[in-house]
Amino acid sequence: MGASKLSGMQKQVLSLYRGFLRAARSKPIEDRKRIEMIVSTEFRHNSKEVDRKNFQYIEYLLRLGTKQLDQLKSPDIISLSSVKVVASKT
Amino acid sequence: MASGLIGRLVGTKPSRLTTAARLIPARWTSTGAEAETKASSGGGRESKLKNFQIYRWNPDNPGKPELQNYQIDLKDCGPMVLDALIKIKNEMDPSLTFRRSCREGICGSCAMNIDGCNGLACLTKIQDGASETTITPLPHMFVIKDLVVDMTNFYNQYKSIEPWLKRKTPPSVPGKEILQSKKDRAKLDGMYECILCACCSTSCPSYWWNPESYLGPAALLHANRWISDSRDEYTKERLEAIDDEFKLYRCHTILNCARACPKGLNPGKQITHIKQLQR
Repeated sequence: MGASKLSGMQKQVLSLYRGFLRAARSKPIEDRKRIEMIVSTEFRHNSKEVDRKNFQYIEYLLRLGTKQLDQLKSPDIISLSSVKVVASKT
Repeated sequence: MASGLIGRLVGTKPSRLTTAARLIPARWTSTGAEAETKASSGGGRESKLKNFQIYRWNPDNPGKPELQNYQIDLKDCGPMVLDALIKIKNEMDPSLTFRRSCREGICGSCAMNIDGCNGLACLTKIQDGASETTITPLPHMFVIKDLVVDMTNFYNQYKSIEPWLKRKTPPSVPGKEILQSKKDRAKLDGMYECILCACCSTSCPSYWWNPESYLGPAALLHANRWISDSRDEYTKERLEAIDDEFKLYRCHTILNCARACPKGLNPGKQITHIKQLQR
């Protein structure tokens, strides 16, 4: 899976992932599955695409994820949904 | 009056002016539209070019942040840095991202670092001359894109000082305003004008090194605003809440905040006032 000793940043990413899954547990069952699906695809995609040394981008994604997690934790929010957008390289 | 203006124009260096420019009573602070008509009608106007080095970083195409160079003709542009940024966004690079709203220095959205000093882009004049202007986002703040920074920590610190009127006793005339003498209202001058642009806090080295624990000059200025308000009855509690090694006493009177404030306020002075009240 990863190196035997995880760096601080890797631990942060993992704890963010765990936070998302825990937040998903408090939602109704079908929404839980959708949240887990979206979150896991996002994290797996980024783990492949993003360069391990690109600290600025990883920190940016961590901050973005933490904000989204805080929003998700609120009891008013019941679900996540995502739309696929093809970004044009202009 | 117009003829008088034309008379003066004709008198001074007529060889440098084209006939078309002489016929139009000139306003030398040109707007874009006027400049275009002048440029098209009289072709002899020289362009005053200036280079702008602007910080760029795109989260959708993440790489290293870079300073990108743009050249602007100052004759075709308004006097302020914000005018230049809008001109670049309109004509040269629509992907340049920055916050702006009022264009008159009251909203605080366009706060950025211009030539090393924090300020509002809409109030900072473009420096005349051939030298380059460097525009970067507010220092030591997380960058979301180009010149846009993450202000959530700054706003949370402002929220933490509870910037609203708190009373223990009901007002003397229920349903009516709580009265305040002119002298007491004058105590708030120099604090109520703060627009929360974050120029002061992001210029404070103490805030750079402890952004999460030190409240920063802006939040402390507002804390003093509520402490000094004669209508507020929770003064003791407010003072106790910020009487903390990190929240208040990270201030070492560096006074960069007073230098940076675009509204001319002095947060350092207000912080000294709080420290005196703490005793």
